[in-house]
Amino acid sequence: MAESRVTTAPSHGQERGQELVHDRDRSSAMEPTRDLRATLPDLLDVLLDKGVYLDLDLIVTVADIPLIGVSLRAAIAGIDTMLEHGMMQQWDEQTRAWARTSLARRVPLHADEDVVTRMAGGHRQDEPYDAWRLGTVYLTTRRLMVWRAEPRELLWQAYLEEITGVELRSERSAGGEERSRLAVTTPAGTTLVSAASPEGLASLLRQNVAATSKAIESGSGGPALQGAVWYLEDLAGGSAWRGGTGTLDWVEGLTWKGVRDARPAVRLRPGDIRSVELVRGRTPVGDEMLVVRGGTRPVRLATRDTALWAASLRDVAGAATGGGAT
Amino acid sequence: MTLRVDETSLKNGLLTLVVTLVEIIQEALESQAVRRLEGGELTEEEQERLGQALLDLDEALESIKADHGLTTSVADLRRGLDDVVNDVVDRLVNPARWADGTAGEGA
Repeated sequence: MAESRVTTAPSHGQERGQELVHDRDRSSAMEPTRDLRATLPDLLDVLLDKGVYLDLDLIVTVADIPLIGVSLRAAIAGIDTMLEHGMMQQWDEQTRAWARTSLARRVPLHADEDVVTRMAGGHRQDEPYDAWRLGTVYLTTRRLMVWRAEPRELLWQAYLEEITGVELRSERSAGGEERSRLAVTTPAGTTLVSAASPEGLASLLRQNVAATSKAIESGSGGPALQGAVWYLEDLAGGSAWRGGTGTLDWVEGLTWKGVRDARPAVRLRPGDIRSVELVRGRTPVGDEMLVVRGGTRPVRLATRDTALWAASLRDVAGAATGGGAT
Repeated sequence: MTLRVDETSLKNGLLTLVVTLVEIIQEALESQAVRRLEGGELTEEEQERLGQALLDLDEALESIKADHGLTTSVADLRRGLDDVVNDVVDRLVNPARWADGTAGEGA
């Protein structure tokens, strides 16, 4: 193949081309090579980078009598080049602004809702007629829904707390193939949901349903308590109080993060908390500190309202163990 | 240099032609996208969206080629197109050679 290319190569490049072929034959196949030939993408790149301006006037005549006139002006370039020359600026801005606003209202999510995963899919409707309705399947932190972008419609949705069963079913599709469908059971009935990756969606859905029901059982989805908390940190030369944010959550447990920290310095799961004590001692905000035992070493914390934190900590630990921390 | 599109299977040939053209357009779009990204005018969200869309397009094209067994025929057609472009560019850049060529044909 290389030989045939040399014979079609232009005359003065022939010698160089042959040398190249000889070199390649002598050396191993892994030699770096450089192709100096122009390719179609190269040509397009140059044309779009530089921009092409066409200004054409044409008259078609028969027997010296003009019959058809063509007056053609065209500019073709990459938008970046267009903008450099001050063309299409407004159009560019309008297009992007429109995309921004239309994307913001693309999927109607609640304020505290995040998309966990999305994939192509659909759901089976029974009424008024039996049909698959296709769109995009969204699994969010609060619900499973099938959304169609054009024309915009929320085809089907089920809140996670209503979902009582998730099951994979094998079904013969219209094309004769076996396909896995997701059977989602809610108080309203069982709905078949198709998805690009039914297995992945099923496992994510089960996880999220489990997390939701756990949070509901514990009484709250959000953190139970959050506020300014000081943490007594043991350093090489002694210990020092550091200011930060303490969070107490029914699922996550107790976390404390310093003002400038990227990740929490203290992290105790509800089940790990063994005891919560109030001890007298000087702190930045008072003369009483919380000692939480459970991790490798006791965690000493200071807040303005130590009694509230102690009670909440015991509640969270108690809900996890079923008994109650002292 | 003539372009050879496989005539034994019209569907295959036509699909090869379409996919090849789309692939070339996609490459042009990609290099223009890089220019816009480097221009620094796009917001982070727009950059993310642009990158994702181009990635999706790339994946879709690759899967179409794999599904229909077009990978080699697309590569062949592209090589043919590149040869044509190379010839044309070579003649445009070196008008003397063009004159040589036409003189040679005339004789």
